[in-house]
Amino acid sequence: MAIIEIENLKKSYRVYQKKEGILASLGGLFKREYREIHAVAGIDLQVEQGEFVAFLGPNGAGKTTTLKLLSGVINPSSGSAKVMGFTPWRRENAYRRKFALVMGQKNQLWWDLPANESFRLHQHIYGVDPTEFKRTQDEITELLNVQHLLGQPVRELSLGERMKMELIAALLHRPEVLFLDEPTIGLDVVAQHNIQQFLKHYQQERKITILLTSHYMKDVAALCKRVVIIADGLIQYDGSLEGIVDRFSSDKIITLQLAETESFDDFQNLDDVIEIEPPKVKFRVQRDDVPKLLSRILASRNVEDIIVEDPPLEDVIASAFSQVEQNRSDADSLHAEAVS
Amino acid sequence: MQPSYLKVFLTFARNSLVRDMSFRANFIFTCISSMAWAGMNFGLFKVVYQFTNSIGRDSGWGENEFFIFLGTVWLINSLIQTFCMANMERFSEMIRMGSLDFALLKPIDTQFLISFPRMNWAQLPNGMLGILLIIVSLNALAAERGDNLYLSIWNVLAFVFFIACGLCVMYSVMITLASTSIWLGRNQQLYNFWFYITNFYRYPMEIYQSGTIGWTLWGTFTFVIPILVVSNVPARVLAQPLGTPWQRWEWGFASLAVIFAIVSLLVSRFVFRSALKSYRSASS
Amino acid sequence: MESLGLTVRPVTWWHFFQVSVNERLVYRGDFILGTLMRFLPTLTQIFLWWAIYDSVATNPTAVGDAPDTQIAGFRYGDMVAYYLLVTISRAFSSMPGLSSGIALQVREGEIKKFLIQPVDMLGCLLLQRIAHKLVYYLMATLPFALVFFLCRGFFIDGWPDAEILAVFFVSLILGFLLGFFLEACIGLVSFWFLEVTSLMFIYMLMNFFLSGHMFPLDLLPTDLQILGIGPLNLRIVVDFVPFKYLAYFPAAVFLGKVEGAEMYQGLAVLVFWVMFFIVLSRIMWWRGVKRYSGFGG
Repeated sequence: MAIIEIENLKKSYRVYQKKEGILASLGGLFKREYREIHAVAGIDLQVEQGEFVAFLGPNGAGKTTTLKLLSGVINPSSGSAKVMGFTPWRRENAYRRKFALVMGQKNQLWWDLPANESFRLHQHIYGVDPTEFKRTQDEITELLNVQHLLGQPVRELSLGERMKMELIAALLHRPEVLFLDEPTIGLDVVAQHNIQQFLKHYQQERKITILLTSHYMKDVAALCKRVVIIADGLIQYDGSLEGIVDRFSSDKIITLQLAETESFDDFQNLDDVIEIEPPKVKFRVQRDDVPKLLSRILASRNVEDIIVEDPPLEDVIASAFSQVEQNRSDADSLHAEAVS
Repeated sequence: MQPSYLKVFLTFARNSLVRDMSFRANFIFTCISSMAWAGMNFGLFKVVYQFTNSIGRDSGWGENEFFIFLGTVWLINSLIQTFCMANMERFSEMIRMGSLDFALLKPIDTQFLISFPRMNWAQLPNGMLGILLIIVSLNALAAERGDNLYLSIWNVLAFVFFIACGLCVMYSVMITLASTSIWLGRNQQLYNFWFYITNFYRYPMEIYQSGTIGWTLWGTFTFVIPILVVSNVPARVLAQPLGTPWQRWEWGFASLAVIFAIVSLLVSRFVFRSALKSYRSASS
Repeated sequence: MESLGLTVRPVTWWHFFQVSVNERLVYRGDFILGTLMRFLPTLTQIFLWWAIYDSVATNPTAVGDAPDTQIAGFRYGDMVAYYLLVTISRAFSSMPGLSSGIALQVREGEIKKFLIQPVDMLGCLLLQRIAHKLVYYLMATLPFALVFFLCRGFFIDGWPDAEILAVFFVSLILGFLLGFFLEACIGLVSFWFLEVTSLMFIYMLMNFFLSGHMFPLDLLPTDLQILGIGPLNLRIVVDFVPFKYLAYFPAAVFLGKVEGAEMYQGLAVLVFWVMFFIVLSRIMWWRGVKRYSGFGG
């Protein structure tokens, strides 16, 4: 049985439309206008125990809302979800003891106190056995290499160090499910890498289930086999990282290295040329056209080397997001026409 | 394993103390300034009692009795400021910044978790000062009445008990006010409101018992927002146990303190829970 | 070029003034309610003093009979009227955030902009303060009028004559200037000591007790025995420090507690204090700036 099961989960907000000007705000006291926002518009998802799943999507796509629903912080408008057999928004203590949420943009440690004081507080709140608590804390701090920072007030730590402490705080009660909301946001490359390495190691060792949202493709590529793309409150894709390219891009990128005698003039006229840097030329081709085109070129040109590759993942995902965006605004304008 | 509420509470106390001690200058400054304000307050009534020997005709609030009252008010104020004030401000701030999310994840009662994390120890010396004033005035009162043993251990226990009841009422009023910030977003005015209404409980309730406006105020602050009960019942237990014999209505008044403590706790719990529900369905 | 500078100046000041007014108008929300709530402590004072007068009246050693019972020359009505009038003096003389604002500017180095630009910092701050106060009075008139109308019964002798009213208003304006320059001086101390919070606190405390904010100064004991020193006449002490002009003096003038020659004498001392703090703040500013640039900020 899947550890996380989500069925047709929806969450919408009513947002009060504020108006400009004094008169209008006075009017707003009596008659308010609301706008409905569908943050999560019907999500179905199954995650097996031990999976490391990434949620990708543009800002405001519904990733964080989904994580908050799964942690029981907010109630859904409709639909159901079960995590380890619990319904999150019932907020049973038995459930709350078995998972953790880390948010890169918010901190829960006491700002003016050393991190270990916050850890002790967590020990009491979660009722962790003292010896087990000590063992876990030692183990994780060593893995993250922050033993020497435990006694320093959190406000004096760097962003990366603080994030590590937040992670430790979240793992002290040995959660079986971990939700990470942009854990590496704003960190430098080294700190990002450290945290990735740690998460990878920890997840493999403990076989816990992790859901991660991130803007950094590197996080996702390093950690997750399974990627879920959410946009507009809906799942647009669910599968492997490599599969994204197949799904959202029908192109290949071909790089040719030509003999020095060759002329580059006719390439200049091609639409899909990415760059020409003699003796190399790089261009985009429809996947189906690749064999035909290559054989034609090989027949007519003096080619020294050929590389055929997928377009970079970032580009594919960016274009996937903008496709979704485009569809939505089309739908909106259609809707608007229907109304008028 | 169940969380131990006592251990969590003690950890809150410890952590807050560690934090206060890391800003020592600020700590000492807060101690001194709050004690200086208390001193001013004391000075005002020293001046007043130059001209009268009682506040209110035949009310029994002579100088020594009144300073017992004043000491009681300082004690209650200091306990509220030590244990509640910072937390209520922090709670409103958490709602605004969205960091309430973390509190909701913890396998422990949410109201407990947000009610006690920050204790402002620098406000406690003022309470000590209150106790000191009570003891000194009790001594003077005993000398004045020529009876050293007019107080029994039961009076002291009753005093502690009614202080506890009063704290329950004050806590409930505060958490109710703070919870409304989930609906209102920002409630600066409400905090001012809090400071202004606590003005009313600084004096013996007898001063309001005249005229329409007076009795209206008395009724409002006894039965609607029962803050007069908070200070008057414990102070009376110490200051006027034998001086003016306890009449039946005074027993009624004392039992009101217990009833209000229970009712206000229940009401505030209800308001807090409803507020959390709207937070859950509204936050993003 | 000199003449150009002179013509530009009033325009600049006017512009600055307008900006300050607008800045203040933004915060008009909840204003009337907030001002009315400010009178709640006065309401408790009304009841407290009623209880005190009531018990004094029944005391055989007390002065006079019930309606005419006096405490230090104040009838009950006078006492309440005094507290109401003090809210007016305080509305003029209190300068919330002035000294801490100056201290912050010195600490954060924002003071540099006044060294570079041809604008006078104290002048700017004064103008800003006038603007804020004007807006405050404009909006507070309604709630103040309401409260005073409801409490008109406490003003037993009705309106004072025109001369006293004139002195009352002059002392309010001078009280505003005194409050401004006194607090400015405290803020300017930060040129020498970075931490002025404790100094501000001492000022606040003295102000509260010695200005007559808490009770009419006539109530102060004349023979205070403290720590073996004494008898100390506190009423003479308050005459030698400027605080009483921030709250007590205008109210006392209005209620006829200081009259005739004594009133004009008081006014003269007030003028002296204003001049004193204007000069002091100038000197402190010059020396402070000199010191500041000497250290290179």
